[in-house]
Amino acid sequence: MVKFLSEAWIEIGKNYMLEKLDPVNDLKNISTSLLGVVEHIPPNDSTMNFYLELKEGKLIEFIVNSGDTYKGKEAIYEIRGNYGTYKSILQGEMSLGIAVLKNRLKLKGSKMQALRLIKPLDGIIVSLREITDEF
Amino acid sequence: MASDRLIASQKTSFKNAVDIAKKGTHCGMCRFDFLGSGICPAGRKKGFLAYWPQGRMELIKQLDSGRVKPTDKLKDIVKSCNLCGICDKQCNFTTQLRPEKVAKALKEYVDKLDNNEFQNIPEDDILRGLREIVGEEWATNDPCIISSYTFTIIPRDSELDYYIVMPENTEQVSRIIKYANKNNIPFLPRSGGTAFSAAAPTVLAKGLSLERGIVIDLYRLRKLEIHPESCTATVGAGITMFELQKEALKNKLRALAAEAGAHVCSNIVTTGIISTWGNRYGAFADNFIDLTTVDDEGEIKKHSDLEIKNPYSTESGFTNLSLTPHSIVTEAIVKLHPIFNDEEIVLVPYNNLRDAYRLLIDLGKRGIGLSLAVLSRKYLAEFLSPTLQISKDFDYVCKNYLKLNYVVSIICNKDDKRIVEDMVEYTIDHSLMKSLILGAPRFSSLRESEFMKILSEEEDPLKAIFAGPMRKHLEKALDPSPEQVAKVFDEDLQDFFKKVYSKPEMTDIIWLHAFRILPTRMMRQQMFMGPGGAMWTGDENHYLNWIQMFSDLGDKLNIEHSLGFITPLDHGKFAYMEYDYYYDHNDSDECSRISKIVVDSMEQSLVMGKVLTILNYLFKGIYRKEHVLYPLAEGISKEEQELFIELLETVLGGKL
Repeated sequence: MVKFLSEAWIEIGKNYMLEKLDPVNDLKNISTSLLGVVEHIPPNDSTMNFYLELKEGKLIEFIVNSGDTYKGKEAIYEIRGNYGTYKSILQGEMSLGIAVLKNRLKLKGSKMQALRLIKPLDGIIVSLREITDEF
Repeated sequence: MASDRLIASQKTSFKNAVDIAKKGTHCGMCRFDFLGSGICPAGRKKGFLAYWPQGRMELIKQLDSGRVKPTDKLKDIVKSCNLCGICDKQCNFTTQLRPEKVAKALKEYVDKLDNNEFQNIPEDDILRGLREIVGEEWATNDPCIISSYTFTIIPRDSELDYYIVMPENTEQVSRIIKYANKNNIPFLPRSGGTAFSAAAPTVLAKGLSLERGIVIDLYRLRKLEIHPESCTATVGAGITMFELQKEALKNKLRALAAEAGAHVCSNIVTTGIISTWGNRYGAFADNFIDLTTVDDEGEIKKHSDLEIKNPYSTESGFTNLSLTPHSIVTEAIVKLHPIFNDEEIVLVPYNNLRDAYRLLIDLGKRGIGLSLAVLSRKYLAEFLSPTLQISKDFDYVCKNYLKLNYVVSIICNKDDKRIVEDMVEYTIDHSLMKSLILGAPRFSSLRESEFMKILSEEEDPLKAIFAGPMRKHLEKALDPSPEQVAKVFDEDLQDFFKKVYSKPEMTDIIWLHAFRILPTRMMRQQMFMGPGGAMWTGDENHYLNWIQMFSDLGDKLNIEHSLGFITPLDHGKFAYMEYDYYYDHNDSDECSRISKIVVDSMEQSLVMGKVLTILNYLFKGIYRKEHVLYPLAEGISKEEQELFIELLETVLGGKL
């Protein structure tokens, strides 16, 4: 059982992405960083975030923190949404693109540049979907 | 034996009722009193859509398909209807449907069920919480009620995993959103549902609808106050354009109004009120003085708050798409405009679009007129004709004999009228328009007449009929009267429609332009989709090529189509254009083709450039027009086009 946003989720996710995702074909050699803020986490209505960094398609960092900011590094993009939205995305009920267009995820950063990331990020989401089985 | 016959007749009645319901287009005209006949007492009292004629029509479809089973609430829904017949009058005026037959069939259906066939739907924890906010009566998880919202916020193929809640004030809306967030339940506000109903049969349904969660039905926010001294009105989210316009008129004021059934607040949010009066009265944030909003964290804000982050700006470019509102507008203080004593209507007929367009843009740039539009022949025929067949014949006569394909419609004061009349050779005046409304059945019957054949042989049939000797013959042939129009309606409704057409406003083109009760008639062919958008008017060929693109797509995909209207914005620098496609929303193949038109027309519009497509318009209404329309969008590059297609595939879940 790997619970969303747990330490195990990060570790297994990291290993899964490194093993299964090809930097060129799957991640299109992208270099970017993303802060995902997850709000209204049950049972205490808390907020957490995860920071993900890629360099030329290789995973450099994947960290989970409490609160809505990660002080270590500044991400190029920030996506912010509630726990239910992330859960829907990880369960394959909603795509990342439609979550942004429906304002379920708020995006900070260039939308045009972010559009270019949708496909590679979909690969990461599929990886995380594979390993996440508890919410 | 007698009992078998009774059962057989009930089955037929139910089947007929389902057939009627399938033609329903969710226009929402049964939810306000636009004919002076009153409105559905059950709907007014109970609020939820299932208690309105529109909702009953959806409900019977869902029962017939088996998507929903009878519940205890269904008994209440059926019992609440006293078969007063108001819905038949309203629906017959616009679409010639008879929703009372649906109500009767539902009563018969419920009567023959055993008590053990009604499901009891227990209250769950979420519903309990919602009821604590709005009161027991105004929140439900009943599938019969939920299913009535299909097509106007709930997609056709979704599980009925929803709650419907009807708050009565802004504070309750705020509490509902905070409650939804705490429980991680998606939510979406619903007003008239008319915009979604147009999108529902198409590929846009998935993006614009609520997939599950809480539907916040805003009907109960019914504050409406006119402030004559400041020429403003305070309008709650449950108020329709018709209701606002009616109250404004009592004070000799006029609102910039979308179609009659659109709710004022949601229309402000959705498209910024697209209207033929926009060149004079404004667009987007021009329409209001202040808004009360509830954001997606449930925080209540007002635009007039001193510390608010700039609420009027939005990003430009094709990536500014948004499929849901950024916040819920629960109340708006809107601008009203003076009505002048010397207002008149002038219509200038044309056989070609280029000349009509030139006059329109010229007038727009000069600031002449209060309402300005090019209306297509089809648009005019649909509006003026009391039945679909008459509109088809009306269209035929205009096209084949009169060569009347477009009309520039100008509402203006007397001084402006003189200017317009100096600019053109001949016009259609108010008196002749009145004759065309009350003589529409006769006009349509002229399609096989010698009179029309002779007229069509004139060098300029338009001039001969509107400014020449043929006019008096036409007026005589039309024999216009309320009796004549009333005759085309069902026999039991003829007396009622005689009275309706005897009212001065029914032949007052200015009133009809302001109250907009006729556009719903476009739905008589079951459904229409009106993509388009606003385009820079600086390059006439570019604009006309854009319109031609929509026409070509209609031909290519074999869907009946026609220009709807063009109206200038921002002193004629832009013009909004609606291009209409007519189709059967029960035919999945036609729905696929409409979807392709929506996607292809948007892609081609973006490639052409200098255009703001209808999808770019969505949910931009609260921003300043200067931010929405400028900078002029250049045509997108090949790379951007590929990204756009990728984005659409993400939204649509694959290639179309």
